[in-house]
Amino acid sequence: MRVLALLLAFAVTGAQAETVRFITCPIYRDADAGKKSGCWLADDRATGKRYDVSQAPSKPDWNREVLVEGTIAQGGKEICGGIVLEPVRTSILPGACTRQMLPAENFTGRKFVLPKRNISPLSVKRDPPPPPYAARSFHLFFDFGQAFVIYQYDDYLLDEAVHWIRAAKPRAITVTGYAATSPAIVSGRTIAEDAAIARVRAAKIGEALVRLGIDRKIVTVKWQRDAAPIDVPEADGLAEASRRRVDIAVAF
Amino acid sequence: MMQLRAFILATSSFAALLGAREIALAERGDAWWTPGEGREFPAQIDYENDYGTLRVLLTGGPLATKDHPFFRPVGPRGRACITCHQPADAMSLSVETVRKRWDKTQGKDPLFAAYDGSNCPTLKQDERASHSLLLDHGLIRIQRPWPPRETKPDFTIETVRDPTSCNSGGKYGPGAGNISVYRRPRPVANLKYLLAVGFAYDPKQGMPLPLDPESGEPMSGNLMADGRAGTLHAQMHDAAATHLELLQHFDRADMARIVDFESRIFTAQQIDKRGGALNADGAEGGAEKLATSEPGQLGSIGRAVWSEFAAWETPKPGLTPEENAFRASVARGAKVFRDKTFLISDSAGINSPIGFGNPVRNSCVFCHNMSQMGNDVAPGQVDLGTTTLPFADPAPHLPLFRITCTAAPHPHYGRVIYTNDPGYALTTGRCADVGKITLQSMRGLSARAPYFSNGSAKDLRAIIDYYERRYHIGYTEQEKQDLVNLMSVL
Repeated sequence: MRVLALLLAFAVTGAQAETVRFITCPIYRDADAGKKSGCWLADDRATGKRYDVSQAPSKPDWNREVLVEGTIAQGGKEICGGIVLEPVRTSILPGACTRQMLPAENFTGRKFVLPKRNISPLSVKRDPPPPPYAARSFHLFFDFGQAFVIYQYDDYLLDEAVHWIRAAKPRAITVTGYAATSPAIVSGRTIAEDAAIARVRAAKIGEALVRLGIDRKIVTVKWQRDAAPIDVPEADGLAEASRRRVDIAVAF
Repeated sequence: MMQLRAFILATSSFAALLGAREIALAERGDAWWTPGEGREFPAQIDYENDYGTLRVLLTGGPLATKDHPFFRPVGPRGRACITCHQPADAMSLSVETVRKRWDKTQGKDPLFAAYDGSNCPTLKQDERASHSLLLDHGLIRIQRPWPPRETKPDFTIETVRDPTSCNSGGKYGPGAGNISVYRRPRPVANLKYLLAVGFAYDPKQGMPLPLDPESGEPMSGNLMADGRAGTLHAQMHDAAATHLELLQHFDRADMARIVDFESRIFTAQQIDKRGGALNADGAEGGAEKLATSEPGQLGSIGRAVWSEFAAWETPKPGLTPEENAFRASVARGAKVFRDKTFLISDSAGINSPIGFGNPVRNSCVFCHNMSQMGNDVAPGQVDLGTTTLPFADPAPHLPLFRITCTAAPHPHYGRVIYTNDPGYALTTGRCADVGKITLQSMRGLSARAPYFSNGSAKDLRAIIDYYERRYHIGYTEQEKQDLVNLMSVL
């Protein structure tokens, strides 16, 4: 019942924003507007549409296939030569690609702007989050088949969680890793995550919590296959991507 | 005359600042510090080199080196830390110094100890050829356990070429439980920058920084080429057991004295033969600024990297055209370093797994991002290709290893990799880390050629030429010279 409700929630969101999911070889467009300004493009071969996936937190590798999951941005300017997807995730897959690079061709690209999800240097003083503190969960999301804590996305979410946990001093923390093991057909092929990645994700985040000062004795690590999507702000409305996650459940 | 005046002024002002009672100027000749000689280490000492003058500062005043564990000869060869970390060489060791030492002692100096001052302990130690890697390339033998003791590696190592005889046979080599690689000694100076922790996370590994088991504090990950020691204590344990051939570690009192010394020592080029004092006319080069500045700052959100020389963009009345031209070149070099972008591709630690994309457009300062030091604020394990084919320069003098990844292939090299030095992978046991070498500081470069961990860049220009070849940057000849001039004044 809970899963159905969540899917309905995503469906309501989806009524206003079209999402796409496909596998392709990425294209790098060398739009030189300074550091980190190059464009990443991805052609959906089924529809013939070219998408701009440059806003993904983790970007493609021009030697590898990529799984694209994104929402078509309303009013997004085609400054890279593709329909803008934002939010968007790009997961690097093992399949090989011939590297492709396009020149700028009058597309300006984007000047680099620090993402909104970025952690502050340790030298920056932070006030603890105010009470009351009650049971709650935090969530981290991963690229397909990966357990890597995504820079300027997951590290930010993890940092926010730990900042709160340090102040709240909970009795117990349960870290649950999930894998999207249910097969799905994408671009004509069936994909599913290996169940083992759920354990790797959970173990990694459990260790991360300890490194960030959380007492190992209060941390329990679990993992689970057949993950269902969740609709939380940190998932950016990307239902399929939200299956690949770790939940940090805090109890008092 | 002007340069001499600037030198005297700079020297006097810093002496006043430190309250130093002793200032020494070493001549170009034999600046060698012999273990156990008992000389007092002054608060300030200057050494000439090809580009000008290097300054070494010891904050807090002079140090009596007699029986000090950094300077005290220990182990069966009579070596000390100072043997490979010489003040005249920016607390590293230049190949020029090595050769002088060989000539002066006919190879009898403890520097040339069989254990790691020769190509392999099994070789005849009285022959120059047995020490060719140290004499010709400034390389010390580093013996690492194989496989790593605390992790099960996801790759195998085979020796393809063994010109030193230390990676095959019954006692040495992967089949014997060890692997020998050859690396330049890292400078033991300006360490507060290398130990600084700017952020709690290592974005290259996708994890919070590992914790020091002794203090519980996060470790910077910027000390060692292969990340095998995260703290000064751990580095001392490693060095004592290997380079110094000690059967026992330093005791806690000794380690405290070494840490005290290493934490107080700062070095940088101070005077340039062409541009004068590097802290003159608004510039803020030199060692004093390093000693007094806050470490660990990211240049992109604070003080821009190498902006110390921004004041030199404007010619100074009264200087010769040549002096102004050199200063302008240094200032341009700083801008090229920060602003000239190029495509960085297939470099693990940059293009994978961090998520920047492969390729990514950026400049030198993308990695060399710490203000005033040019190392990486995050742990700097990156594969620039300097030790790994096809990007490494031909190095017939070095061993060649074939790495076979037994789990996932390397993200850029594939299943099989040929390398002279697996680098960080020797510590982590991960195929994805093959070829990664920790970025080091960029200070005191004029005093410590050759460069890169394997000494493959014989001079400053060779560094630029390597990057040009590796990343097809398209530097103009002027930009190359500007970068060389910049590096010569650091």
